[in-house]
Parts: sequence; structure tokens; C-alpha cells
Amino acid sequence: MPDNTPLLRVPPPLTARRRAEPGKLAPPRLLKSAGFRFAVLFAAMFASAAIALVAVLWWATAGALDRQTDVAIRADAVALSERWREAGQNAVAESIEERLAVDVGNEAIYLLMDASGSLRLAGNIDRWPPEAAERAWFRTVVRHDGFEVEARLHRVDLPGLRLLVGRDETEREMLRRLLTEGVIWASGAVILFALLGAWLLRSVLQARLRPAFRTAAAIGGGDLGSRVALSGREDEFDRLAQTMNAMLDHIGTLMVGVRGVSDAIAHDLRTPIARARAKLEDAVGAARDEAALRAAIEEGIADLDNISRIFRALLRIAEAEAGARRAAFAPFDLVPVLRDAAELYEASAEAREQRLEVDLPQQLAMVGDRDLVLQAVANLLDNAIKFTPPGGSVRLAARQTASGLVIAVSDDGPGLSPADRAQAGERFFRADKARATPGSGLGLSLVVAVAHLHGGDLLLDDARAGEAMPGLRAELRFPLP
Amino acid sequence: MIGMFSAPLLVLALGVAATAEGPPRVTSESTEYCASLTARLAGMPAARREPSRSLAAEGTRLCGSGHPQAGIAKLRRAVKAAKAEAP
Repeated sequence: MPDNTPLLRVPPPLTARRRAEPGKLAPPRLLKSAGFRFAVLFAAMFASAAIALVAVLWWATAGALDRQTDVAIRADAVALSERWREAGQNAVAESIEERLAVDVGNEAIYLLMDASGSLRLAGNIDRWPPEAAERAWFRTVVRHDGFEVEARLHRVDLPGLRLLVGRDETEREMLRRLLTEGVIWASGAVILFALLGAWLLRSVLQARLRPAFRTAAAIGGGDLGSRVALSGREDEFDRLAQTMNAMLDHIGTLMVGVRGVSDAIAHDLRTPIARARAKLEDAVGAARDEAALRAAIEEGIADLDNISRIFRALLRIAEAEAGARRAAFAPFDLVPVLRDAAELYEASAEAREQRLEVDLPQQLAMVGDRDLVLQAVANLLDNAIKFTPPGGSVRLAARQTASGLVIAVSDDGPGLSPADRAQAGERFFRADKARATPGSGLGLSLVVAVAHLHGGDLLLDDARAGEAMPGLRAELRFPLP
Repeated sequence: MIGMFSAPLLVLALGVAATAEGPPRVTSESTEYCASLTARLAGMPAARREPSRSLAAEGTRLCGSGHPQAGIAKLRRAVKAAKAEAP
């Protein structure tokens, strides 16, 4: 028994989901979600901004108070030092008492002691704080109005004296407490807003992307006509939608083209295949002898060769249109290729008593697919020779212009009317005048496909306008490499 | 041996004593200071005029009725007013 393990294992949940709800896709896991990461980024930036704001606010308020206090203390200290210089120790003591007597705000702190620190001369604190020994400017706790509060103090060094000037910082403490409480409440609000903003951002992102997801899922489910809805805001998401829609339109056109080709193949080859089969069937029934049978078989082989030639041509056109051969582009000289093509058809032209004129420069550098270009030029020569009457002439010329290379094939035939010219590049198109001549109608469509593959074009015009038999001038244009 | 430890022990003892006493105390909030301010006002002629006079009276009353902080605030305002009035 053959092994039943499938070669390709599709995870069941995915297929089940796809079959059940073609339009619905589960949101990605939270941590992998781009929306979540954007949201986290937003929250982080919001929080950073808030922290920066609080820092600036603190510096501006509490910081300003601090600076103000220090300025006042310094001014006081300088004034008292001046007083000592002018009038000595007793004057300083009196100054201190005067200052305290008018200190309505109840913030000033002074202490004047002798150098040994044992005699208190003036001031309103009861002893020398230990920190004063270490630093000139410091903060310490004092007992004021029954509470323990912070005070900012400055030690002034005077000969024979110890002076301390300071301010009670109760106000600063209150402000700091207020700010801290405010910051805590604000932090709560910041976190709330950050989370809200993050959730909003993620929702908006998901909502904007949903049309694209839905359309892709619909197309995956088989509805090829589905297109991404535009929001009308003309933003990045709309551009994405427009690009996707353009891509889908192009794919749609290609698929219609493919279907058209299949239809055309089926339609146009049904007859030759049926005819070849009929002839062989006849031969089987009605052949008189082995020689007749052999002849019928050889005719069948020729018919099949013709059909396979048509198939090959169709394949080349499809390849050229798909652009697959663009990857194999290489630089080459066009002139030898054109001479080869002319050589190929010289014999046929001679057989029909036609002149094949060649007008080529020394060299024409080009980048492309050598084989396809040869095939295209051969097709043009083939057409020219086919439609030129006996005794006429066919001309092959090539030149370099400012915009690129031009290969021109002109003939003496009946030419193509403007209406026919427009359709000439289509597969299996045959102008009414050409119905009598053999051909599949694929020649020019290959030339057009090769031209487009190289970024160029095919132009058709009268070779000699105004005459009864104007002839056709086919110009194959290639851009500069 | 004890001599080696005596100096650091002394410092430790002083430190302990200091913390045991608590932080420095502001002295300009007691009834003694009320008296000091009242004495100062007595030596200022401008203190007998308004508004200093009524502020001083109010302050002295508050000090006497057990509200030294409020009294001191009033007395300080009285001193300030007297200083402003002084020629």
C-alpha cells in the first residue's frame, strides 16, 4: 500500500479558518503586533514629555524659590558683615535684633556667637548646628512654632565671631509637597492618557488597514474583482490602496489576455487540427495503395509541423510579453543580426524576383535579447516579401537617432489602412486583403511584444504616401541602452 | 588603653547628647520674646502713635492670653509701623 503521508502538510486550523470565514483574519498576537509597538512608542514619548514638563515646572517654581531665598540670605549676610566692619560686634548684635523685631513673615534665622562657640551674643536659635562646621551653605532641621521644619542656613566667617544667617523653608516644603502630590496625580492621568492614546492608535491603525486585509482575503478566496476601498483622505493608506488596486487591475488585464489567447488558440487552431485529422481519416478509408497512404501521412506530418510552428510562435510571444527574457539581456552589435536576417530572406526574395536592399551602418550597439530581435526582424521581412508583388523591392535599413535605434522595413505592397494598422499588432489578426496569403497572423504581434520587452515600439506607416500601392513601412524603435 | 578610647568616646557622648536634645530651636516665639519686643517698643517715640499703638496693645493682649505666636506677629507689625513713622 502506498504511504498515505501527504507530501505537503497544511496546518489544519489555517485551512479550516480560511474555508469557514474567507473575509475574517484573527488579529496578530499582542506583542508581535505593529500597532501595539506603535502604541508603546507613543506612550513612552508621552510619558517622557510629561516628565520633562514636570522637571521644567519644578525648576521654575521650587528652584526659583530656592534661588530667591539664597539671594536674600546672601544680601543679609553682606549687610551684616558691613555693619561689623563699620561698628564692630555690638553693632552687629543690635542689627540682628532689629531685623528680628520687624520680621513679620517670621522666616529669618540668625545666630551670633563668639569664636569659641560658648557665648551666645544675638539671634533666634538656641545652639550652633553641627552641619555649620562642615559647609558654609547647608540645610538643617529646626524646631519652629512647635514643628520640625527645614531651614536654609549660611555660615559667615568674621574674625573673633561666628555668624549664621538663614531662612525658614516651610513655604518651600509646602510647595514641594504640593508639587509632589500634583505629580503623583498627574502621573496617574499620564498613564491613563498614554494607555488610551495607545489603544486609540492601535485601533485606528487596524481600522485603516482592514480594507486592504479584507480585499486580499477576498481575492485569496477567489473573488478577483475585489478592490481595496479608499477612504478619500489621500494619505499613505490610500496610496497603498491605490497601488494595490492598480496592481490588481494589471493582473486582471493579464488574466483576460491569457484567457483571450487560450480562446484564440482554441478557435484558430481547431480548424487546422480538424482538417489535418479529416485528411488522415480520409486516407485511412479511401487510399488505394501504399504510396497514396504514404503521401497522406507525409501531408499530415506537414500539417502538424505547421500547427506546432504556430504554438511555438505563441509561446515566444507569451514569453516576450511576460518579460521573463529581460533578465537575459546582453549587449550586442545589431548590424550582424540584421545582415543575418537579410541573408535568410535573400533566397525567398530572389525566388519571387524581388530586390532586397540593405542600408546599414558599420555598427549599432544595443542591449537586449539577440534571438528575439532576429525573430522580430525576420517576421517583418517575411511580411514585406509576402505582400510585395513580383518585381518589387523590399528595403531593410537601420540607423541611430538621438532617442535610440530605428530598424525600418519597407515594401512595395498594398500597405495597411490606418484602421488595419491599429489592429495589426493583435494576435491572429489578418487584414481582409491578406486572407488569400498564407500566414497565422502572429508575426506582427511577436514584433510588437519584442519591441515592448525592450522598452521600445513598432510604428506602421505608408512607405510612399498618396500612391495607389503605398506599401508598408514598419519601424522598430528601440530606446538608448 | 582607656586613654586611647577616651577621645572618640567623648565625641560619641556629645553626639548622643546633641541628638537627644533634638534640632536647634527657634527662640523668637515665646512669651520672653514678647516682653523683649514690648521693651523695644517702649523705647520708640513713634510707637505711641497710630497704627503702632493699637497693634502693640493687641499684641500684648494676645501674648498675655496664651497666644505668643500671634502676639509676636502683631508686636512685630507695631515695630515696623513705628519705624516707618519715625522721622
